[in-house]
Amino acid sequence: MSEFRSPYPSYDVLDKWDSPSWNDQTREAVGRRLDDVPKRHFLTAEQWSLLEAIVARLMPQPDREEPVPIVPWIDDRLQKDRRPGYRYAGMPPMREAWTAGLAAIAAECIDRFGKPFEELSSEDQDGYLTTIQNGEVSSQFWSDMPVQCFFSELLLKDVLEIYYSHPWAWSEIGFGGPASPRGYVRTGFNERDPWEAEAADV
Amino acid sequence: MLAPPEPEPSHRPLIPVAAATLAAAGGIGWLLQRAWKPEGDINHRAAQALSAGAAILCASVALDSALEHYRGKFKNRAMFVGPTMALLGLGAATCLAFRPDRAKDRLPKIALIAVGATGLIGMGFHSYNVLKRPGEIDTLNLFYAAPVGAPAALTLAGLYGVIAGEMLDGSDFVETRLPQLTAGLIAFSLLGTVAEAGLFHFRGAFQDPAMYAPVTIPPLAAVAIGAAALSPRAADFAKPLLQATAVLGIAGPIFHAYGIHRNMGGWYNWSQMILQGPPLPAPPAFLGIAAAGLGLLPALREREH
Amino acid sequence: MYERAEEVRAKDGRAPDVFREGKWVSMRCYPDDEEVDFAIVGTGAGGGTLACKLAEAGFSVVAFDAGPFWRPLEDFASDESSQGDLYWTDERISGGDDPVQLGSNNSGRGVGGSTVHYAMVALRFRPEWFKCRSKLGYGRDWPISYDEIEPYYEEAEDALKISGPVSYPWGRRRKRYPYRSHPMNASALVLARGAEKLGIKWAPVPLATLSAPRGMAHPCVYRGFCVYGCSTNAKQSVLVTFIPRALKAGAEIRDLSMVGRIEMGKNGRATGLRYRREGEWRRQKARHVVVAGYSIETPRLLLNSACPEFPHGLANDNGIVGKHLMIHSGPGVWGRMEEEIRSYKAPPSLALTEHWNYDDSAKDFHGGYAFMSQGPLPNAWAETLAGRGLWGMALRQEMTAFNFMAGLRIVGETEPRPVNRVELDDEKDHFGIPIPRVTFSLSDNDKKLMEHSIGSMRDILEAGGARDLWDDKDSSHLLGTCRMGDNPEDSVVNRDGRAWSIPNLWICDGSLFPTSGGVNPSLTIQANALRIGDRIKEMAARGEL
Repeated sequence: MSEFRSPYPSYDVLDKWDSPSWNDQTREAVGRRLDDVPKRHFLTAEQWSLLEAIVARLMPQPDREEPVPIVPWIDDRLQKDRRPGYRYAGMPPMREAWTAGLAAIAAECIDRFGKPFEELSSEDQDGYLTTIQNGEVSSQFWSDMPVQCFFSELLLKDVLEIYYSHPWAWSEIGFGGPASPRGYVRTGFNERDPWEAEAADV
Repeated sequence: MLAPPEPEPSHRPLIPVAAATLAAAGGIGWLLQRAWKPEGDINHRAAQALSAGAAILCASVALDSALEHYRGKFKNRAMFVGPTMALLGLGAATCLAFRPDRAKDRLPKIALIAVGATGLIGMGFHSYNVLKRPGEIDTLNLFYAAPVGAPAALTLAGLYGVIAGEMLDGSDFVETRLPQLTAGLIAFSLLGTVAEAGLFHFRGAFQDPAMYAPVTIPPLAAVAIGAAALSPRAADFAKPLLQATAVLGIAGPIFHAYGIHRNMGGWYNWSQMILQGPPLPAPPAFLGIAAAGLGLLPALREREH
Repeated sequence: MYERAEEVRAKDGRAPDVFREGKWVSMRCYPDDEEVDFAIVGTGAGGGTLACKLAEAGFSVVAFDAGPFWRPLEDFASDESSQGDLYWTDERISGGDDPVQLGSNNSGRGVGGSTVHYAMVALRFRPEWFKCRSKLGYGRDWPISYDEIEPYYEEAEDALKISGPVSYPWGRRRKRYPYRSHPMNASALVLARGAEKLGIKWAPVPLATLSAPRGMAHPCVYRGFCVYGCSTNAKQSVLVTFIPRALKAGAEIRDLSMVGRIEMGKNGRATGLRYRREGEWRRQKARHVVVAGYSIETPRLLLNSACPEFPHGLANDNGIVGKHLMIHSGPGVWGRMEEEIRSYKAPPSLALTEHWNYDDSAKDFHGGYAFMSQGPLPNAWAETLAGRGLWGMALRQEMTAFNFMAGLRIVGETEPRPVNRVELDDEKDHFGIPIPRVTFSLSDNDKKLMEHSIGSMRDILEAGGARDLWDDKDSSHLLGTCRMGDNPEDSVVNRDGRAWSIPNLWICDGSLFPTSGGVNPSLTIQANALRIGDRIKEMAARGEL
């Protein structure tokens, strides 16, 4: 169950870096993502390591020695206060929501399991994250923050957005990736341009 | 302070491009006409022209179908047959264009009949390709599915080649009826090609006014040579119209190259745009048909005497 | 507060030439203290279109946009995440029983507004919808009829060179679309196949993206990043159609200019705008002010411009400003296909059916819906899968089936109800202006429509060959918060978009809609803007301005 297999093991979107599939502005944007991984600025060291442990369950990467970095980008967004343009009623503003949510997770884990989240087994970690997803947490730690909202709109959403903005994630799902100026010529059933991902025969 | 003194407006130089293209095509056409040295009597020369026309048609189909079938990844193995037979036709017809007396030989005749039959079979395959899609015979499929009329060019090439052989017969039929029937075939060929070009230029919304050229001049040439079949004097009108049609057949690829240039990435993105953009090898079909028609005109006029 | 690194481009007598990299077009600039004829807030489907029409009619026009003046060829990267700059990301609060997702879902920011990131679907209203109360027994009549707006639909379609089918199965007989349809991708063919099997009519979607060259613009290369900004310039957003025309006709576009307040004079007329540009607050004088900020920013500006003469906000004596917010409901159905679909290629929606907009039999609800094939990119797809409750390895593994997924999503009519509204919150944004609070709940009728649509989509998707079907919820578009009408008691503006209580204040965007209809609104917003432009021209000629 914890094994990950991609149908496109030999496909790498980055192979097309110098081809007409990538243009200057795309290379610049993605290049920064690959090369300029930010350092910790906003989160405390404790918040950072808690978040790393959470993210490792929300987006497990057991197949990678060097996982796609996710927490640095969450920290970066919090540092710049770069918001999505809305928050649901009842949620505190972005920075406060993250801080409160992480604090609640840290405290509730000690209360529930006697150990911090980072030290739980993966099953327990997954189980606890599921209770957050379902909103079955104790209001003692979460007060009146919409818990399910915190899980889906902040935690999971950001993790997924950051992960699936990384070229390795594009490669593993067989996404064509950037395509300007090249575009695609073959768009029908079972059609691929020669430089699109080809599934390895399983 | 920062603004350039006279900001240029954004527009494409469609008129200069069209003028330059037509001038260049006209020049090339003139050179080709000078290089064309037919031999023998009127029927020999007609046979040569028909063979040359067939060769040009086969070359156009060979390149066009190779490109388009490559785009389709030759997913149906039969897709190899089209370009292959077109090459065979090109070889046979070129041979005959240089050695018209060989047109009576069995081998080139069989080859060209096979090429002609391939065209018909190709049309069948292409029709199936259209019919099996949602919408079946609707404009969207006529635009983007396999072009139903395209393989017909091979059938025409096959017919021209066979007729070239018959032209050398020397019989009464050849003197009187065959040129007439062939003129009718040329007219039909032109109209068919006009329909194909018209369909795709309609797909392109005639966004460049030059796109009206292949649906205005060749139909007039078709009417003229059709008239020449009935009245030999009409051959005099047919000549400039066929020449103009031939020039369009030369100008077409140049226009289409400009069209590819206008697409995203232009020629830098050639590997995609040659497939998406207007098809480079298609317009010379007009050249091939017009050349055959021009070669036929003396035989048509001759009937007067 | 996050400050984007953006620089003003449209100034000093020039504006970016969106068709040529690094080049400029000349732009007439008006001094702030020159009283221009029209100051327009927002340059999207409503504001940009109207700016063009008015400038071409000879009026002096300055149009403001809070966002940047994009250069699509150079600015737009093929990357979902970095294109986040296209969206309105100033804080807003969203509540109610069915809170609306804002930001990248429906709120653009920049010259061209949301037409820079929209999916280019260009559909006309069903003719009867303009009189839905009288003719179909629900909703509310518009103050205009289809006959009145029909020539403007045609004008808009021609201005945008809509690429559409040679014959469109629904609506009244009409002139052929200016450009031809695009080839359908596999995702669209699934809808077509399924619909054909069930005997339901379908059609290629009429799209505002080119299927052939147009001037300097390239035809679509089916790159698939449409809703993240078209770097091909095939998409006929307002930025590359009406804005260049407006500039040529003498309008000024002011980018990165957030309008904070409409200034009012003592005589109950607007005198101009207060806006922020390059770090300082400025004032532009104007004879007329047009608000075209779309359905959240327009009421927000009117409410924030309250003054002693209009203590409840401008044009809000009857309390209607901000009310009757509508969205389009967007449940979707997804399934797994035998064939590879790779729906990331080409515009996201290439096939549609409007069957349930025109056929009202067997409905236990009022209103209509259309649905289209879909083509989500990885981020969007991950978000959709997460909506199923998936996360962790289960989601990561499920994502690898990306290339085999096909889906449909509706644009579903919702009812205009006063409980759905936009108001001001006490919280302020980084300009010091109170932020909007959006409240939305679906009605029973809305929910019945959604249920019904899920059934229809399931049928078609299954007939198209999909299996393991599941459905999700979403929404699109924002409409109705400053509706037009014939009665000053229950509308904000009249049929010409002119505020009842302030004769030189106008509104021209989606907030005008009295009902939402079951199709994407942009073409109707643009047609209405063209119509309002003509009406203003007429009124000026008769001295009624």
